[in-house]
Formats: sequence, structure tokens, C-alpha cells
Amino acid sequence: MELNPFEVAKEQIDIVAKEMGLDPNITRYLKKIEKALIVSIPIMMDNGSLQIFEGYRVHHSTVRGPGKGGIRYAPNVNLDEVKALATWMTWKCSLLKLPFGGAKGGICVNPRELSKKELEKLTRRYASEIINFIGPNIDVPAPDVNTNAQIMAWIMDTYSMNKGRAVPGVVTGKPVEIGGSVGRNSATGRGLYFVIDAMCEKLNISLESQKIIIQGFGNVGGWIANLLYERGCKILAVSDISSGIYYSEGLEINKLLDWVHSGNFLKDYKDQRYKLISNNDLLTSDCDILIPAALENQITEANANEIRCKIVLEGANGPTTPEADKILFNKGIHLIPDILSNAGGVCVSYFEYVQDIRAYFWDLDRINKELKRMILEAFEEVYKLHKMREIPLRTAAYIIAVQRIARAIELRGIFP
Amino acid sequence: MRDINPFESAKKKLDIAANVIDLDENTLKYLKKVERSLIVSIPVVMDNGSLQIFEGYRVHHSTLRGPGKGGLRYSPDVTLDEIKALAFLMTFKTSLLELPLGGSKGGVRVDKKKLSLNELRHLTRRYTSEILNMIGEDIDILAPDMNTGEQEMAWIMDTYSMNKGKPSPGVVTGKPIEIGGTVGRTDAPGTGMFYILETLCERQNFSLKSSKVAIQGFGKVGKVVAQILNNVGCNIIAITDSEGGVYSDKGLNINKLINWKQKGNSLKDHERSNIKVITNEELLCTKCDILIPAAIENQIFSKNADNIDCKIILEGANSPTTSQADEILKEKGIIIIPDILANAGGLCVSYFEYIQDLHSYFWNLERVNREMKRILLRAFESILNLSSEKEITYRTAAYIIGAERLAKAHELRGLFP
Repeated sequence: MELNPFEVAKEQIDIVAKEMGLDPNITRYLKKIEKALIVSIPIMMDNGSLQIFEGYRVHHSTVRGPGKGGIRYAPNVNLDEVKALATWMTWKCSLLKLPFGGAKGGICVNPRELSKKELEKLTRRYASEIINFIGPNIDVPAPDVNTNAQIMAWIMDTYSMNKGRAVPGVVTGKPVEIGGSVGRNSATGRGLYFVIDAMCEKLNISLESQKIIIQGFGNVGGWIANLLYERGCKILAVSDISSGIYYSEGLEINKLLDWVHSGNFLKDYKDQRYKLISNNDLLTSDCDILIPAALENQITEANANEIRCKIVLEGANGPTTPEADKILFNKGIHLIPDILSNAGGVCVSYFEYVQDIRAYFWDLDRINKELKRMILEAFEEVYKLHKMREIPLRTAAYIIAVQRIARAIELRGIFP
Repeated sequence: MRDINPFESAKKKLDIAANVIDLDENTLKYLKKVERSLIVSIPVVMDNGSLQIFEGYRVHHSTLRGPGKGGLRYSPDVTLDEIKALAFLMTFKTSLLELPLGGSKGGVRVDKKKLSLNELRHLTRRYTSEILNMIGEDIDILAPDMNTGEQEMAWIMDTYSMNKGKPSPGVVTGKPIEIGGTVGRTDAPGTGMFYILETLCERQNFSLKSSKVAIQGFGKVGKVVAQILNNVGCNIIAITDSEGGVYSDKGLNINKLINWKQKGNSLKDHERSNIKVITNEELLCTKCDILIPAAIENQIFSKNADNIDCKIILEGANSPTTSQADEILKEKGIIIIPDILANAGGLCVSYFEYIQDLHSYFWNLERVNREMKRILLRAFESILNLSSEKEITYRTAAYIIGAERLAKAHELRGLFP
């Protein structure tokens, strides 16, 4: 059963609106996206035929500032998915008090079927087609599924060429050489780390003694694994697309990272103490902290009852379904929601933007310090509301985010 | 029954033309996509204080040959596919007439009758602000369409100008004359239809005078063409508005009907001896020489095409005939003057309004009509030639001419980047 993601996003607004008694006019407003642009992207393929791809860019809200959100390239991208992702960006930016709204973009394409030349043409044409829709004070894209620093560099170049001047602030996630920020790759992992550290303090438990399981070992999972490993935690299991790998006494994360960074799969790692485990076994093994940092919809109605941990720290976007949410809450498991826990990425994206528009660059130390400050400020606010009203952390986070937007709408009023 | 996806049926017309001339496959693929569609939310604070959010669209089908050009409609059942189809039609219209413009269209999903003037103004201004970057005298130029008129165009021009900080009359056509509109625009579609019909009748050795005419629609297009044809001595035997209309085999008194209508009455209530009340469906199947569907799309379709009983169909509305009906009418030997030529007078004078605005120099009515006649007959001439050379319908010929000009532009410009 495929859920329409935009319907899910709207339902979430309804739930929060009810919980906080939001003005129905504002609720109606938030359930609509401001604008959606659909563009045709004609590309002359290497074989001389013409192919036309469909691309999207959606602004859910620019009430609190320019839109902010990634661009994904995937064969199943559709307008409703992009609308939902744009809506979630609005909440995330609002929760973190970033002066940004929510946006998202995508192209319906399988990038693995394109040559590098075709991929470049696709990106440049897409950037030209959405040129009036983006810009440092309109909407600032970033990498997402199947897009990376190179693609951001092409977008920055195309935009700059069209405008006749270098405009690094039009995208974030760029290579450092052309206005990217240090610390961006590790940002999401580091954000997770600050949040879990603070959460342990609230619960009066020592992070060092926690047993951890991480689903995913990529840009997010790999970094958080490394940070926790260095802190002295026992990482019982991690996984990549090939398999999960488990050792009850704790994996040697530094060695596994070296292995994976040399282009290998976890399933091929040789250590007789380690055993391979399935995805579901990984999620349901005994541990203290479970970090789903791979895909959406991993903890569902089907397996939520078997989850055995104290804390779920959402590294991925939407790893837990709404039904699973309820089950975990009733079991007394603390769930730190994605819009808070993995917001380190958008936070450092924001720093990259600030550095670009001021043309003054920070060192890693300052990045991490400011990241810590922003994400912990949000955490404190969420935790306080969660305690005060005895509601899940996710509901608390949504209420804070929506309230801030609602206030902005109220202050600005409706034009004209 | 008539629920045809309008964009699919629009593309079919191009397919038929492309088949005849072996249009390059890449170009065909390109022309069948719209360049871009913008969907916007339009929040409006209603008079009662509540917030309502409407959905609006603006579509550029092609800007290959120049800025987009196309109307803006307000209707409760506007869909994105409908707007795409209408934008597509505009591309072929501008290309056929050799105007340096592309094709676009816009719409807002709203029942205008339910809005106060104040709400309507807010809606129009907010819609304009939302699509601001998609329009402009060198990007895309709007015009009136279903349920929009001079007042909406004036608001759009004002909102755009205020946002840009300079008067920009060229961003819309169909404006009131006082703020950069042109003379002759209101009558333009009807006048253009007459020029085309007159030329066709000359060619066919068919006397327009005393010919029997049935007209569906009594709005901006139908009324004007009825008046002109009445003045040259045609017998208007039937005419309808959206609720039905009247029939008289002796010919109707058009001036009286116009007066009747102006007082806010429906045509079907105009009861007189010798006048029969008819439905829209009956009007289309009336036996006559010239049938002019000048109301809405998809009126002549597979179910009633067989019963059409006329010599010439002059398409005043956009897409009044479906592709299937086209086939049937062709078999029956009925000549169709297709919408993209027949009702192009409106577009033509819109174009004149645009160039008058750009040059800040305004023409008189005589010049407007003269230039319109020249452009329309130039296009008609090329259709007549191609149609007899290849033995194809006027519609197919018109699409071929439009498509070839677009294909050439596509080839010359190449693909960016």
C-alpha cells in the first residue's frame, strides 16, 4: 500500500492543528503549497535522440524566508512527493529558527542510465528552466537523493553564467573550492551526536555506556557511528545495502569505515567474531539506542512491537510510520524525531549560505560550535514542551514549528 | 460522454498533421510537451473575514518563436490539462499567423459569480503577483478569456506595473483603451471570421448573401459575427446562448435580440410568433448553410456529428469539434474552417495592441482592420494552397504550416545548453 506522501503531510498538519487549537484559516493555508513549477527538460542524448524529462520545484512556504530544500533525481519522483518533502522542510527550518522556508525539487530520471555528459546537460537545463524560481533570496537548493557536490557545482555555474556574476549562495552542498562549507559532510551525523548526548543527560544516563545499533553506514550512519565509537560507546551493529553486521561486544568502527571507504561492502568484511544479520533482525535486536539512518518507513506497524531499545534517534527522514509512532510511545520508548535529530544537515547548509552571502568563511571549529548551539536550543525547546504537555517529542517539535510559521503568517497578513 | 482529456485530443491534431509531412520525430516529441507549468496557491481574505485558497495556473507551451501569448480564464472546473491544451493551441495559432509570439495560457479555479468585486480584485492581484516572474512583455503576455475581461486585465497591468515600478501596459492585451488598449479589439474575432468566410465564399462561388446561418453562442464572438453577417444580408435562422435559444426559418431580427439580451434576458425567453425555442443540441443539427459554433469546446463530437446538416462550419470557439467528429464531417464533405484560423482575429488584434504598447504609438480602427485582414488572409491563402496540393483538410493544413514553422525555429535555435 503506497501512501501518498502529500496526504500524509497534510494529515500531520491536521493532527498538530487539533492538538494546539490552530486557527482553521491558518491550517487551510499551511495545507497548500505556495507554488509548484513543472518543467520539461529536453536533452540531446549521446546517441543523437531527444529525450524529454520532467522536473519539479516546489515552494511550500516562503513566509519566514527564502525556500530551502534539496533536489533529488529518481525515476519515481512525482509532484506529490516533492510537495510533501517541501512541506517537511518548512517545519525543519522553522523548528531550527533558520530564516528559511520550505522547498524541494526533483527530476523524474534514473541517473544511472545517463552518461556524465547527459547528466551535466540535464542539470544545466533544469537549472535554467527554474532560474526565476531560485536564487539566494528566493529559494536555495541543496543535494538530496542521487545528487551531490558536483551537481550543485553545475547548478551554481549555470545560475552564475545566466546572471553574469558568481552567485555561490544559490545552492548549498557545493565543493569547498567554490564556496562550500567545511564540516558539511559530517553535519547530519554531528547534529545527531549533539542531540543524543543532550538526551542522555536529560534521562540521567551516561552516553558512554550505551549499546547502539545503527541502520545505515553512509554519510549519516557512518559519521554518527564514528562519533559514538570515539566517545566509547559500544556499536553492536551497523548495516549498508549489502547486509547488517553484528557483534555483541561492539564492532571496530574505525576498521569498518576504512573497509567501506575503500569501496567494499559490509557483507564481505572478514572477522570471525562478527556475524551478518538481516535488516529486520538489526532493527529488533536488544540495544539502548537505535538509530535508523537509511530509508523511510523502516519501523512500521509490523515490527514496532519488537523494537527493544530505550531511545530511537531518527537519522533518516521519515523512518518511523505514524502507526509505529503510537506503538513506541505506548512502550515508553523515547523517539527523537527526524525534523530535530537530523537537522544538522540543513543547519550547516544554512551556514554555507550565510558564508556565501557574506563572502567570509568559517573554520570547522566555529561551524561545529554554532551547529551545537542551534540544534541544542531547538532540542531544549522541544524537550520542555514534551515534558510540560506529556506529548511525544515529535508532536512537540511540530507544534513549535507550526506555531512559529502561524505567527509569521499572522504578522505578515495576506497580500494584497 | 464528452469527457475527453483536452491535452490528449489537442496533441492528436498535431499527430495527424505530422503524419502527412513526416515531421522529425524529435521535433514532434518536443512539441508535444509544454515547456513549463506553474501552479500557484492564491490565498484571499474573503469579505466575511475567512481565508479561502484558490488554485491558479500559468502554462508556457512554447516560447520558441517569441514570448508566450494566451488568455486567462476563471472557471470552477479549470484543470491543468485544459490549460496545457489551450496553450498548445495558441502556439499553433501564433505560428500559423507568423506572429513573433509563442503559446501559453492561464487559469484560476474559481466560480467568479460567487465573488464580490473586492474579492475578485484581490484574487486577480494576488494571482498576478504569484506569476510575476512567468509573465512580462518579453516573456509571456496575457489576455482575456472565459470570464475575464477589461477590468481584470487592467488590474493585472496595474499589479505588474506597481511591482516593477514602471508602467508596463505590454504585459497584457485586452485592456481598456484608456490605459493602452487598442481600438477594434472587442469586435476583432467576429470581424476576422467574416474576412475568412467572405474569402472562402468567393473561392467556392457561393453567395454569402441570403445564405442561412446558425450560430451557437451570443457572447463576445457570436454576437459580433451575427451582427456583421446580418448587415451583409445573411439569414440568421438560429442562435443560442448557454441556456438555449431561438429559431426562425425566415431569419431572426438580430438587433432586437441584442436589445433583448442587453436587458439581461435569456434568448430562449424571447417568445414571438414565427419563433421557435430550441436547445443548443438542436441548434447544432439545424439545417443551414453555415454553422458557427462560437460557445465552448467539444460541442460537435462523435454522437452528433452525423446529424450536422450544413455546408460550412466556421469555428468561432476554441476546439468546438473533436477529432472523431472531424473524421465524420470530412466524410460528409462539410468544410471546416478551423479555430486556429477562424477565430484568430482576436489574437491578431491582441498582437497589434502589444506592438502599439511597445512603441507607445496607437493606430486607428481603419489600420487595425486592414492589418488584421492582411495577416488573416495571408494565412488562409497558404492553407488553401497546401490543402488543395495535398488533398487534406484545412485543419490539417493549418497544423502543418504551424508545425513546420516551429520545427524550423527549433532546428535553428538548437537545444540549450
